[in-house]
Amino acid sequence: MNKEISALMDSELFEDDAENLLDRIGRGTNAHKDWEVYHLIGDVLRQPDHIHCDLSAKVRERMRDEPTVLAPRSHAVKRKVRTVALSAAASLAAVGVVAWMSQQIGSETLPQMAMQKNALRPASIQIQPKSNDYLMAHQEFSPSTDMNGGASYIRMVTYSSEGK
Amino acid sequence: MADREVDQQLVERVQRGDKHAFDLLVLKYQRKLGRLISRFVRDPAEAEDVTQDAFIKAYRALPGFRGESAFYTWLYRIGINTAKNHLLANKRRPPTSTPFDSEESESFEEASLLREVNTPENELMSKQVVDVVQTSLQQLPEDLRSALTLREIEGLSYEEIATVMNCPIGTVRSRIFRAREAVAENLRPLLETSKGNRW
Repeated sequence: MNKEISALMDSELFEDDAENLLDRIGRGTNAHKDWEVYHLIGDVLRQPDHIHCDLSAKVRERMRDEPTVLAPRSHAVKRKVRTVALSAAASLAAVGVVAWMSQQIGSETLPQMAMQKNALRPASIQIQPKSNDYLMAHQEFSPSTDMNGGASYIRMVTYSSEGK
Repeated sequence: MADREVDQQLVERVQRGDKHAFDLLVLKYQRKLGRLISRFVRDPAEAEDVTQDAFIKAYRALPGFRGESAFYTWLYRIGINTAKNHLLANKRRPPTSTPFDSEESESFEEASLLREVNTPENELMSKQVVDVVQTSLQQLPEDLRSALTLREIEGLSYEEIATVMNCPIGTVRSRIFRAREAVAENLRPLLETSKGNRW
């Protein structure tokens, strides 16, 4: 964790990692001390002539008497909430549009498919006995079948009552 | 995440009722704010009290902080106002011969004005801390010392340090951490033994 504290001090940590780390610093006394010592080192290196005693303990003591401040939600939070709300609204709208479009397409295509099915009903097609072999060989590539790949195992049989 | 964003994160935590987050801001800015206030209030004990007052005022005012300016700029403004009010309350004139605002305060380098008047006890302690840090820095291997110096004194980013030192960013990150940790190792015993002196 110390390595992360060091990176956080140098503004070299991603936002999510920084938030998690600040949570952990808030919970752990050792992390809190490291934060303190690392800042002291930086201050000494930058301004060695102006290091004074630690005021934090006194401020902390005085803070005990202070009521906890609770601010109205900041702009940043409001902005975040607004972003989330807008994202949710946009997602819902997108889902709605997709659902509506699929309904429209469905209602338009169904009669066409029904017509196609009627047009391709086996009874209405005069199948020449010669073409059986061809159809057998290529049935698995037919887009109209629901059994692609399995069609080669199905034997096509035709029956005509007129011949008898 | 930029430094300003880290501060904003901490501020938002305080605004949600997390006092501990404010403590982290105090630890980060206490010396900078103290240094700024000591330019107005020369007496060290008074300067210390005014610095504490400034932090408490900042804490009380935090619900109104909306993040339009950087937290430290806002804090320094409170520090300057607190120091001036303190001097006025004691019927002393705030120094006006060296005008500067909170934005400039970090880069203000006039040593004679920056010099604090410390109590002998604090002065000794300050000296020890500075000695330990500087000695530890000198004892570091060259690559660690350079990385920490480029970061803390020159203020370079990891990417810039990586370019200067001709190494990957991950190595820079590691070197700076190891350097800090090595210095901290030597500093911790001193800080522990002087807890009574508020170090």
